[in-house]
Amino acid sequence: MTDDITTMEAPALPYADAVPGAVVGADEFGIIVNRDKLVEFALYLRNNEGFDYLSSLTAVDYLGFEGRTAEDRFEVVYHLFDTKKGGDGVVLKVRLPEDDPQLPSLIMVYPGADLQEREVYDFYGIRFNGHPRLRRIFLWEGFDGHPMRKDWKEAYYEAEHKPFKSRWPNGHYHWAEDRVPWGDNVKYPQGWDPNAFEPAPPPLPTIHDIPGEEIKTDRVIVNMGPQHPSTHGVFRMIVALDGETVVGLEPECGYLHRNHEKIGERNTWLGNIPFTDRLDYLSSMSNNFGYVLAVEQLMGEKGKPPERAEYLRVIMAELTRIANHMWSIGFLLNDLGAFFTPALYTIQEREMILDLFEEASGSRMMCNYMRFGGVRRDVDEDWLNRCRDLVHNRIPAKIDELDEYLTNNEILLARTKGVGYLSAEDAIALSVCGPMLRASGVPYDLRRSRPYSIYDRFEFDVVTDDGCDVYARYRVRMEEMRQSVRILKQALDDIPEGPVFKGKPGYVTRVAKGEAYGAVEGPKGELGFYVVSDGTDNPWRYHIRAPSYINLNALAPMCIGYKVADSVVILGAIDIVLGETDR
Amino acid sequence: MEILIISIIKSLALIVILLTGFAYLTYYERKLLARFHVRLGPNRAGPRGLLQPIADAVKAIFKEEIVPDHVDKPVYLLAPALALIPALVAFAVIPVAPAMTLFGRTIDFAVADINVALLYVVAITSVGTYGVILGGWSSNNNYSLLGALRTASQMISYELPLGILLAAIVLSTNIGREMGTLSLHEIVLQDRPWWLWLWLWLAFPVFFIGVLAESNRSPFDLPETENELIAGFQIEYGGIKFALFFMAEYIHMITGSALMATLFFGGWRGPFVVPGTWHGALIGFGWLFIKILALLFLFIWVRASVPRVRYDQLLHFCWKFLTPLSIAYLVITAVIVVFAG
Amino acid sequence: MVLDYLPLLILFIIAAGFAAIAIILPTVLGPRNPNKMKQEPIESGMIPFMQAWRRFPVQYYMVAMLFIIFDIEVIFFYPWAVVLGKLKLFGLIEMAIFLGILLIGYFYVWRKGAFEWQ
Repeated sequence: MTDDITTMEAPALPYADAVPGAVVGADEFGIIVNRDKLVEFALYLRNNEGFDYLSSLTAVDYLGFEGRTAEDRFEVVYHLFDTKKGGDGVVLKVRLPEDDPQLPSLIMVYPGADLQEREVYDFYGIRFNGHPRLRRIFLWEGFDGHPMRKDWKEAYYEAEHKPFKSRWPNGHYHWAEDRVPWGDNVKYPQGWDPNAFEPAPPPLPTIHDIPGEEIKTDRVIVNMGPQHPSTHGVFRMIVALDGETVVGLEPECGYLHRNHEKIGERNTWLGNIPFTDRLDYLSSMSNNFGYVLAVEQLMGEKGKPPERAEYLRVIMAELTRIANHMWSIGFLLNDLGAFFTPALYTIQEREMILDLFEEASGSRMMCNYMRFGGVRRDVDEDWLNRCRDLVHNRIPAKIDELDEYLTNNEILLARTKGVGYLSAEDAIALSVCGPMLRASGVPYDLRRSRPYSIYDRFEFDVVTDDGCDVYARYRVRMEEMRQSVRILKQALDDIPEGPVFKGKPGYVTRVAKGEAYGAVEGPKGELGFYVVSDGTDNPWRYHIRAPSYINLNALAPMCIGYKVADSVVILGAIDIVLGETDR
Repeated sequence: MEILIISIIKSLALIVILLTGFAYLTYYERKLLARFHVRLGPNRAGPRGLLQPIADAVKAIFKEEIVPDHVDKPVYLLAPALALIPALVAFAVIPVAPAMTLFGRTIDFAVADINVALLYVVAITSVGTYGVILGGWSSNNNYSLLGALRTASQMISYELPLGILLAAIVLSTNIGREMGTLSLHEIVLQDRPWWLWLWLWLAFPVFFIGVLAESNRSPFDLPETENELIAGFQIEYGGIKFALFFMAEYIHMITGSALMATLFFGGWRGPFVVPGTWHGALIGFGWLFIKILALLFLFIWVRASVPRVRYDQLLHFCWKFLTPLSIAYLVITAVIVVFAG
Repeated sequence: MVLDYLPLLILFIIAAGFAAIAIILPTVLGPRNPNKMKQEPIESGMIPFMQAWRRFPVQYYMVAMLFIIFDIEVIFFYPWAVVLGKLKLFGLIEMAIFLGILLIGYFYVWRKGAFEWQ
């Protein structure tokens, strides 16, 4: 693999004559698009070629990258897919010069670009013209600079000196936290006084009118979160209420932000595997899976795992899905006001799954199990037998039990049916993924539409439901657990003997120059990893397409018009984990 | 003078019993919930965690006193007391045991035996709503205000079916007697034919739902929904002031259970109760205690089992289902009384 | 007769005394070091957008009004209920008329949609 950008002859360019002047080149990973024609070209792809789903939108800073100049320093990368036909999508790239990093927003073509464009703006300072709410989203308003730019140095860790040199000047250690007035590890602009700083007024949600309302009452604007029992972490919703009805909602996140992607660029390729565990800390195996898939694409033949490892990966990923869905159903019931009983019933089986994880990987939640070209440790026959027992007996029994108690519960039906409606078209347009998308009746499951690993060998159904509401999401999760059990049964029957790791273990992984997008169908949706390598030991770019973040695109449209109690349930049915949302 | 001393003794005894009952009701609830959840529950303070309520009380008393700046101070401080006092006072008319004769003196096991006891209970428990509403309003907090408004509409709404059902029960006291009564003593003593017991039990589920809503218990705990309003009307209260609200809620539960036991299950009546003797009083009290415990178990069972309804559903349920149902019950009872009684 | 209510008054006074002690006691026993953040209203850890003392939606009033209409009627049931055994059919018919008027109002309110929470 090389990264030579071969600008081919004009007729050979894909979609060259669709929109005149739009496609200006192509490399082996994607089509390079002229930014002035981007919106037209995206419209063409959406309407004529069927690429209706904007999966991932991110940017890369190529400052100092071999063969790049200031003229094409930034590159905004779009991954588009077709939800009907499935298969590989198309990658659009827009190159931007250093002194003028702006391009038109795609929010009118793909409304799901909303949060992702804000993220890119926050991290790179690339302006998306026409975006209605282009504000910082993860970092605070007073933050100096854009941290993912290669010329931005993180105070203390990436200062001009190596960390250890500045840490002990004259032999005395000196915490960076002590040097700034608020004791935070932050860097302020020159001549800026944190004590005199007035933060920008918080964003007020757009308030929608209730149709047919004769008397206008006062709207109340309330913060829900970050310190709130049912926002699943430090997530904040600014809610405008008309009595009990939600008339406006603005999601705010970033309270758990740690710039995962920036730290990922400092880590070695291998060092990122345990780091992915911390994304969605309830399903670390799936996170590992997505990341190793992406990097293995770059490694070529060397990264192909042995058969047994493939089976182990699938087993772990499906067990993770069951554990996650059990947790999410339990917590959905909690959000509905059931006092912990369903949640505590579901985690009995989850505990057993975690026990299996612990035995295989050494840790219950932060598994750090998969490696490039295999998995960390093999499991013995006893482990497999206990897993079989779990899969054949305990888990199906538990799913049936939950089904019996919950599915036809009067209050559950009253609270979830018809609540949080999201039509199939809206779901696709808003880049919603995973069980949420399938609960809107779209049979889009990466395990089927873009099979990875060995999922093409297993028999299972893609679960869909036409309800489009919270109840449908609950049903889809329930049914997906059954399908996971099906896959697990097949995998546990077929698992071959053999090695679980190819090559010899080492701390440094050699990765060829290039870029790759590896995605798995995680429990929460399409979990994608976009990695760019310059051939060194560290990733040049390490981006995560976080499903729980992108699914939040649909939160405000789903909540408007429902009651305040419903907004909690709708958020619960999205199933977010703040570790992944805020990264 | 004598009545004064007896009243003071009885009042003190009642308050001590109710407060102890409250303390151990929290323990009872936590233990039961823990068993529902496949957990152990409190088991550190004292044997089997039996000293846990006392530890909680001590902690609440020694908590820091926080009175936020933005509140309406007098009302803010008054509200917990307003919630608690009616809760304590409402129990006064419920007979806890048959009267007994000791040293030639008849001892009556209720603080007061008044002829409008049922009306008194209804009136006093409604006053408890004020504490909740004023507490939520004076906190000057969006969450607590919403909680207070919800309380206001919810509690008064459910008073309607409850009141109608109580009227029906009063109607039923006409049967087998010359005239109906509102006195709880006489309701306990009334000899009901078997078919009347069955007819009354038919109303029990509706009555129980009403009491659940009146005492803000799950699934009708909307004034303090943890999931939306964090703690609802009591969000700005801490330490002992929070504990007073908590007390009020739990004592309401006890009073409600005692009332239900008295109206539907014969109060202190049961096998081996010989009225007028000291052991009769003791066993009678034991029966009432067991009945209250069983009813409290129902409260907790419901809390552990069902999700919460939404606010609008709660009101619809009351106005469109429970109210017509209870009116129908009242009418049928009236017909029974006239033609069968 | 009035003497029957004396115990209730005494109970009330004792209960009020207990509540007063419970509120005053911690101010003596507990620590007290207020600061600015502690005195802020609690709104999920953020500074509130607006004060809570403002006009609130009319639906809550509606429920209260409905309650007042119907609950006062319910109070009339009690004396009637006590003496129905004596009044017999006369009482029944009389109450049927009263209830009929009440129900007309009830269904009118229902049709008007006052029970719908908008």
